[in-house]
Amino acid sequence: MGAPSIRLERETAAPPRADAPPSKRARSRATGRAPSRAGQGTPRGVKMGGLLQALATLIWLPQAALIAFSIDHLANGAGVEAILPAAAGVLALGLVRAALESVGARLAFRAARRELSQLRAEAGRALAARSPLDAGRVASGAAASALAEQAESVVPYRSRFMPARMRMALVPPVILAAILPFSWVPALLLVVAAPLIPLFMALVGWRAKAASEQQMVEVGGMNAFLLDRLRGLATIRALDAVDLTASRLKANALAVKARTMAVLRIAFLSSAVLELFSALGVAMVAVYVGFHLLGELTFGAWGARLTLGEGLFILMLAPAFFEPLRDYAAAWHDRASGRAAFEGLEALSGAGMALPGADHVLRADASPVPSDARPEGALDVRLTGVGFAHAGRDAPVLQNLDLVVRAGERVAVMGPSGAGKSTLLALLAGLAPATGDIHLGGTRLGAATAGALRARIGFIGQAPHVFAGTLGGNITLGRPGFGDAALAAAITRAALPRGAEAHSSVGEGGIGFSGGEVRRLAVARAALDPRVGLILADEPTAHLDAQTAREVSAALLAFAEERTLIVATHDPALAARMDRVIRLGGGA
Amino acid sequence: MSLMGDLKPVVRLFLAERRGMLAGGLACAALTILAGMALLGISGWFITATALAGLSTATAVMFDVFAPAAAIRLLAIGRTGARYGERLTTHDAALTLLAGLRERLFRGWAQPGAARALEARPARLLFRLTADIDALDSLYLRLAVPLAAAVAALLATGIALGLMEPRLGLAVAGVLAVAWLGLPLLAALPARRPARRRAHGVETLRADVIDLVAGQAELAMAGRLPAQQAVLAASDAAVAMADDALNRMEVRTAFGFGAAGALALAGTLVGVAALMEHGVIGAPVAALGVLVPLAALEPFAAFRRGALELGRTLLAVRRIGPRLREAAPAARPALPSPGLAARLSGVEVRHAGRAVPAVQGIDLDVAAGSRVALVGPSGAGKSTLLALLAGEIAPSAGTAEALAATLLTQRTQLFHDTIADNLRLAAPTAGEERLWQVLEEVGLAAAIRALPSALETPMGEAGLGLSGGQGRRLAVARLLLRDTPLWLLDEPTDGLDARTARHLLDRVGVAAEGRTLVIATHIRREADLADRLVVVEDGRIVRVWARGEAGFAATLAALRAD
Repeated sequence: MGAPSIRLERETAAPPRADAPPSKRARSRATGRAPSRAGQGTPRGVKMGGLLQALATLIWLPQAALIAFSIDHLANGAGVEAILPAAAGVLALGLVRAALESVGARLAFRAARRELSQLRAEAGRALAARSPLDAGRVASGAAASALAEQAESVVPYRSRFMPARMRMALVPPVILAAILPFSWVPALLLVVAAPLIPLFMALVGWRAKAASEQQMVEVGGMNAFLLDRLRGLATIRALDAVDLTASRLKANALAVKARTMAVLRIAFLSSAVLELFSALGVAMVAVYVGFHLLGELTFGAWGARLTLGEGLFILMLAPAFFEPLRDYAAAWHDRASGRAAFEGLEALSGAGMALPGADHVLRADASPVPSDARPEGALDVRLTGVGFAHAGRDAPVLQNLDLVVRAGERVAVMGPSGAGKSTLLALLAGLAPATGDIHLGGTRLGAATAGALRARIGFIGQAPHVFAGTLGGNITLGRPGFGDAALAAAITRAALPRGAEAHSSVGEGGIGFSGGEVRRLAVARAALDPRVGLILADEPTAHLDAQTAREVSAALLAFAEERTLIVATHDPALAARMDRVIRLGGGA
Repeated sequence: MSLMGDLKPVVRLFLAERRGMLAGGLACAALTILAGMALLGISGWFITATALAGLSTATAVMFDVFAPAAAIRLLAIGRTGARYGERLTTHDAALTLLAGLRERLFRGWAQPGAARALEARPARLLFRLTADIDALDSLYLRLAVPLAAAVAALLATGIALGLMEPRLGLAVAGVLAVAWLGLPLLAALPARRPARRRAHGVETLRADVIDLVAGQAELAMAGRLPAQQAVLAASDAAVAMADDALNRMEVRTAFGFGAAGALALAGTLVGVAALMEHGVIGAPVAALGVLVPLAALEPFAAFRRGALELGRTLLAVRRIGPRLREAAPAARPALPSPGLAARLSGVEVRHAGRAVPAVQGIDLDVAAGSRVALVGPSGAGKSTLLALLAGEIAPSAGTAEALAATLLTQRTQLFHDTIADNLRLAAPTAGEERLWQVLEEVGLAAAIRALPSALETPMGEAGLGLSGGQGRRLAVARLLLRDTPLWLLDEPTDGLDARTARHLLDRVGVAAEGRTLVIATHIRREADLADRLVVVEDGRIVRVWARGEAGFAATLAALRAD
């Protein structure tokens, strides 16, 4: 059916701009900065699907012709039987059209969905390959938003907007070509009305666009306002300010609404312009054809006179001429959010400081640990001229550091905040690329060895991450080859409190875990694999009460028997139990 | 809990806010489609009539061209106006709804039980909440509005054809009603499952990414980065499967639409031909009859998409609905007998899903004007006792009595707002002088005076722009504004440097003259403020020492120094 179909847009009427058709714009953008993926490499399936859908739209032409000339026949006194073949044709063409459209839609969707999966995998790989010490790394919440929900917009962009764009490029010219042989006046009317639409929309739109962007910000702000207050609900309740906050929330939302509506009154003008021109286009064609058939306007039909059938045919094509334009405008929102999705994913894949050995590590999974894994002895540590600096910062965090730690030695690294204690531990763990040489157990830490060496290091970070799932899963992290016995041993070694069972589930981000329990969990993680020969612990007792601090230290030291232990700490009690103290900062 | 039960508060909220506006939006939507149908129908009639009249010069002169031509132009302009009105009224109504929804949701979450649930899974619940609010507005904009337009289009088609021949009107309207309204609803039922799975799948994907980024060091050390990639890929595959199922349903429904449309079109053509053959109608009316259903399709595509999103919308309704119900006002703890600020007798608290009670067998009297410190290792139950006294949780056994209290929470929570408004949360009517006074007391006045707009300086989200120590001072300033007889402090200076901490504790000590203080702590300097130490271990009170007793000094000495 070729009737005009307007989708209700939820978005705030962001009109297409007249200045540049999208393909041209993609090219012009390339000169400014790296072209967005959105402008290049459209998947083949999307193109094929779009083409099929455009073809389906064009089937309306023969359908309309059949209907128009049937009515002409009827007006000339033909009976039902005379038009039965035409009616059957309309039905058959309609079925073909629906089928083509379905196949096209499926093709486009499947190609778009496959692309999304690929993009997600690429972004995930890029995130995994970036050093956790990279200051420019995207925060976990922002990365999650970009890769999970924002990325979803890739599919409607590819499978709805791109086909709509193809239809807009293909269908109106064909319709014009179909009308022109009969009469040049309606063709001219449509040709004049069509470019006026983007022009007027652009006039209204350039103001509406800025306004609607601002409005998006405000609506986002309204959500942020609610989330911000909900996040601080404990305080609001404690201060007895629930009513106060609720009324402010409402007043704020209504104020935003008032401003938004002021914007929308302008923004919706652009969709009104589209509506007006397409309705006037149909009306003018109808009026011209009517007066022409009456004999009042004799020009236009190449010297001949239109028949009723020809007139009706032209009339029925007029709304179909505007339909792709409307679809394109309705899909505009898909374009905006799709491009934002591509940009968000690109930001995740941006180059940064690489995780040493990422290429090697990401290629293959960890080999299973033999079930009878035994201690393989302590690792000695030798640093020669080691340094580290964050990108774009002048002052290095560490510079020209030489250090030897004997196998089995227990060392405390002390120094003021910012002296580089945490950085040193992360470099030893192979979590960031260092200048100079680091040898662990005689092996030089480098891209090819980082993966294997990390397997022999127990790392207890300053803020260990607690994964969603069970306690047991949090300790093994899915490392293969560790059974219940190994798990139970790790739990005991880390002195996790009674009642901590491997299958009990853990709250989001470790909520419900006290600071002490999280540290113990990290100790258990490090203590799971008996082959560990070097333990690196970053501030294992910070912010703990005295008793818990003693217990965590005891668990750590017990596991460190027969292993090398390096602890970064401010805690004099813990430092006193070490063999040696190294001071960083001032004069290391 | 039944779906209808959850839907009720949502619908009630819809009806309570701007009923007229909502109805106006629906009417405008219906008017737009009717004008479109009339435009095409009358145009067809006009062309056919002129063609017949034009056959002879006599009839051509007699033919009244101006009324139909004017009607066509009027309809073109009327349709534009109706569309513009529809966009404005529906969006106005939807935004008003959302404003009301946000307020009600906030109140719903502010109930004690809900507030605790929120605290346990903040990121996930808050993320869900925004997604649900977005899904809810489609109930009106994407479902109700197109449905109104679709029904109007159906009725108009039925009536227009029915006037020519009742059976034709019934038949065509019937086919369209079954196909265009029935198919989407039919698709909506099986689409509920994949729509729900999809919503959950995206949440899982989100959690996987957070684990990958926040837990990258742990994963790298365990050699599990590739495994986490596989987890990510599996979650995406699950979403892809749900996406594919939804798309298949959408495409199938669209095919049904197209087929039914073709059938109606061909049927109408045959129908009007039969009517003409019997001389019931003339050619112009026949043209009108064919073109009217042609223009009726417009609202159905929008309705189709809305119907397929029904599953997601209902999920939002089910999750948001319970928070919209009017809740009973939270019960504050009863007042204790005179001379006491608080009394706990035989109190036990069990948290849902925990086998061991958080606290049990608690008997504690706090005399008015006294200062008590609850000390013990983390996880012993100190914060639970404070929550009991604040009325945040109710005991599962025993009774809790307390005077009106203010709790200084362990975490500093500041808001994306001006400094003055952050302070006025504690005392809405406080004048500027009073604000400066408390800022002076916590030693923050000079720093804030130096800011570009002083008290009116907006702070970033979660109080960004102030250092940790400054933020804590601001939180304490807020406490000082609260004129309640009982102050409850949860680790008031944890994480502060010794100098700042001592200064703040001194100020709190002075300001608390004449009030009762209960402090939960594991730090010596904080416990030192008290004249009684209550030692809590494993959810029980194991000892109580008064200042001057031997155990008091010993307990104090065992706590963490600065």
